[in-house]
Amino acid sequence: MKDLKHLIYFENLLQEANNDLVKQAKAEGKRAIGYTCYFMPEVLLDLPGCFSARLRAPRCTSPDIATYYLSGRVCHYARSLMERALEGGYNFLDAQMATETCTATCRFQEHLQQKHLDSVEDMRIIDNDDFFCEFTDIPFKNNENSYQHFETQLRAHVLEPLHEHFGIDISDDAIRQAVEEHNEVCRLINEIGDYRKLDNPTITGYEFHVIQLVSLVCPKYLILPYLRETAEEMKTREPDTRKNFRCKVVLAGSENDDPDFTKLIEGCGALVVCDRFCYGAVESRVPIVLEEGKSPLRCIAEHYLKTSNCPRFMPQDEMRARKKRLADLAKEYNADGVIIASNKFCEYWSYERVIDTFILQRDFGLPVCSIEKEYINSASGQLRTRFQAFVESVEIKHIQEGK
Amino acid sequence: MCKKLGKFLLKFLAIFVAANAVLFVVFFFDLDGKLLFNVVEPFLKDHYDKMERKDTLKSPYDIDKFPKYKYD
Amino acid sequence: MAKDIKKALRDFWYGKPHTAEEGGRRLGELYEDKTGLLKHREWRGVKDTFYYMYMIWGYNYVHMVTDILKFSNNPIDFVKGTWRYRWMGQTYLPVMHWFERGLQGMRGEALAASAWHYRAMVSASIHQICNFFNADTRLHGGKQNDAYKHTIYANETTCGTLFYPFMDDGYQYLPIEMIPYFVTCHVNSHTVLNYIDAVQSIGLPGDPCPMCQAESGIFVLDDVPDYAPAVITCNEACDASVSTSTLQDWFADKPLFALPIPMQFDDPLVKKYCMNEIEEMWKFIEEQTGAKFSWESMVKRLERQNKLQRDEWEKWEVAAKTNYYPINGVAQALFRIFSTQYGIQTSCWEEASEKVKKIMYKCVEKKINPFPQTRHRVIAWSCAPLYFSNWCTWAYNCWGLNTIINMDSLMFDMEIRTDSYENMLEDVVQYHMWAPMRRMAVGGMHHIFELWDYMERFNCDMVAMYDQLQCKGMQGVHGLFEDEFRKRNIKAFWMPHALPDCRTVSRAEIRRQINDYMTTVMHEEPLDPSLLDFDDSMTW
Repeated sequence: MKDLKHLIYFENLLQEANNDLVKQAKAEGKRAIGYTCYFMPEVLLDLPGCFSARLRAPRCTSPDIATYYLSGRVCHYARSLMERALEGGYNFLDAQMATETCTATCRFQEHLQQKHLDSVEDMRIIDNDDFFCEFTDIPFKNNENSYQHFETQLRAHVLEPLHEHFGIDISDDAIRQAVEEHNEVCRLINEIGDYRKLDNPTITGYEFHVIQLVSLVCPKYLILPYLRETAEEMKTREPDTRKNFRCKVVLAGSENDDPDFTKLIEGCGALVVCDRFCYGAVESRVPIVLEEGKSPLRCIAEHYLKTSNCPRFMPQDEMRARKKRLADLAKEYNADGVIIASNKFCEYWSYERVIDTFILQRDFGLPVCSIEKEYINSASGQLRTRFQAFVESVEIKHIQEGK
Repeated sequence: MCKKLGKFLLKFLAIFVAANAVLFVVFFFDLDGKLLFNVVEPFLKDHYDKMERKDTLKSPYDIDKFPKYKYD
Repeated sequence: MAKDIKKALRDFWYGKPHTAEEGGRRLGELYEDKTGLLKHREWRGVKDTFYYMYMIWGYNYVHMVTDILKFSNNPIDFVKGTWRYRWMGQTYLPVMHWFERGLQGMRGEALAASAWHYRAMVSASIHQICNFFNADTRLHGGKQNDAYKHTIYANETTCGTLFYPFMDDGYQYLPIEMIPYFVTCHVNSHTVLNYIDAVQSIGLPGDPCPMCQAESGIFVLDDVPDYAPAVITCNEACDASVSTSTLQDWFADKPLFALPIPMQFDDPLVKKYCMNEIEEMWKFIEEQTGAKFSWESMVKRLERQNKLQRDEWEKWEVAAKTNYYPINGVAQALFRIFSTQYGIQTSCWEEASEKVKKIMYKCVEKKINPFPQTRHRVIAWSCAPLYFSNWCTWAYNCWGLNTIINMDSLMFDMEIRTDSYENMLEDVVQYHMWAPMRRMAVGGMHHIFELWDYMERFNCDMVAMYDQLQCKGMQGVHGLFEDEFRKRNIKAFWMPHALPDCRTVSRAEIRRQINDYMTTVMHEEPLDPSLLDFDDSMTW
């Protein structure tokens, strides 16, 4: 396939959290608001006057000082973020909208917070006088009580602090405007992503992963022109005449902002056609519907609780339904199997991976490759062996089924 | 009569003292612990190890078996 | 010669003295190699030896039987349950050895008072075990009997208080894992290893919290009684606990209600949310069991619970301000966490508390110091190694480290108002959010750094910092604690462990860490050098 025009530019944007577009937005007077988790609605951080930056720590392989603070026994992602923060890599942030949605990232964000307590000295990791870190309590369920609670929390801990600290307009009109922009990003990403559903897809999982990531880490209004152009380019993009993959897979699991991991899988012959992991597009790029009779904030609160497939969600029907949703995704994207990858020390996904591995194979007939990985995949040799074996097993299954 | 009662009391006392002496030996030399550690636990462990158990991985996992427990 | 005879007589009458300088008792030499069994029990002097033999060892053996007769609908079920469940057979029998480990070297009031805490825990455990077996369909040919229909099945970390409203109607709350997992780890640490291995055998990595691993493993090994129609799960205490529910749901396959506790519990905005969730849970219980919410039932038990809390404050006051508190570190910690978690379902807590208070006030009046060899008053922080909860006893005997209070005890530190439904609910929510392992562990790291306040309040000069290697929350504040210890010049030693799994960090390794600290940092000599190093790798 012909190279995408902006792919190298996108790849470069992913080299640093403080990338060119972030710098440009800052220079234009916008406030940079960091976050880590899907449960922090990025759309609220993209209100006029500020922009969201989902935190990554690309190329962080040796988080030594962070390991002193968080120990070597919490996930590499949290430690990498901490290390990058300690290195000054997030000094561009004006605020961190924090969530206690997983322990490791929570602890990282607590280190960023200026607590002004006698009991523990603040570290002032983010060298920015304006910086503040605010926590929001995120529900574990998606019932009416949770919607109300989440709405209240978002108002008190996201909107009001943004307004108080930076004078951000948090009116319903401003939220509607942000939703509109957000939905355009969603539409474009989905349009680009839908090419993965083709029999011979015209976009690779790696390319899509890069595009999805830039939409998370760059100011929306600055990345949108590039996304529009890429979506246009995709309309005429021709696939290679000979399929250069041996099977198609859904990649599911925990935090993953490493496109090289997708590249590694694809290098073994499995085309990643669907990305249902933290930082993936399956949930985060579902457009937000603003319903009549409900405030935009209420709609946003409902949206994020209804769309999440996070194993943190506890209701029985949710726990069970998300297995089926994963199987449905495999069907929708014509995938031959599922790779479930959990980050080492990620407790949510360690368990979810176990149960998915059994249920998807047993009850839905889907081949599953279950792996544990690091944030930065230094053990690529071992993983490559696992993926190659998986691809072969899928091929053998196809032969046995006479496909 | 008195002699009989005295004999009974002596016998009772002897049994009482002997029982307490045995109890003391068991207590002091941790004989209960030794019996449990060396005999009872290995026997029970062996029993539990050999016990036929349900293969829980074959348990059903019906997606729609239970309703949403919501009381809004 | 005469001196020797005099000393021998004194040792016989009073027991050998504690310290090496006084020709001490050398407790480490009592152990058989590896097994931790005793060559013979310690001679504590005439009075204490026979008190121990009759009033602790004999008394508890007898009451283990009478409690079964008291709480069991049919004692045959108890035998059947012992034969059916590994956690039962392997754990129940060595109970007196658990006492021995916790009470080693104790004398007089410390021996008596600490043993009453143990006695209450044993009684409450038998209460639970009997209730399991009364209701378990597996022991009754698959029949769902009346006991089954009157039992509520919940995660052990869901606080028992929430189920008080249904108890007047004969309903009871039985935590799923408290007996199969939590108690077993203390009494016989071998049992739990089967469960940890079982869940890892189906693909779970070894790094999640081993408590949660074990709690899932019980289900994997099909070792959970089937004793209630519906399940309540809870997000307490951590990410792994939430995830454990997914496996438990699969294997239990029963109607399940998820009861979330807000994470940011200092935020006043979360209270209403939490109240609603608790009320929803009560509706679920009513729907699933037919039980009816009873305000009287709630109040009655809350008042008893409040009384128990006030008793505890009374005891803490003495512990904090005097040297007359007769409870050792392990008896303090376990009694408190066990009683608050299981709640007022038996009267054993109140009975034990009264007895202990009586002994305590005797110590205060007569100025008896039950721990006369105390060199340092220690506060134990974070979560303790379950397989070596008796480390406090060892540390006192070996080094004179007297553990006055611990973090777990300070969790549910409040009374609950009973003057109106609204006030009650508001307080229950707070109580629920201060559940074990949460009060300090989540909701902002300032909670965990309350350590300094408690250190001062309890007049402690040293910190035993538990280092649960697989607890992500505690690992995540490791560096800041190091910084603060240094900055404040606080004497603190780290105790690495893996909660229930004695294979990750052995007891000997924990002791070595403390020994190293005491010799290299504190430059102190052990009180009883025989306890420095011994091999108990195979012990219960």
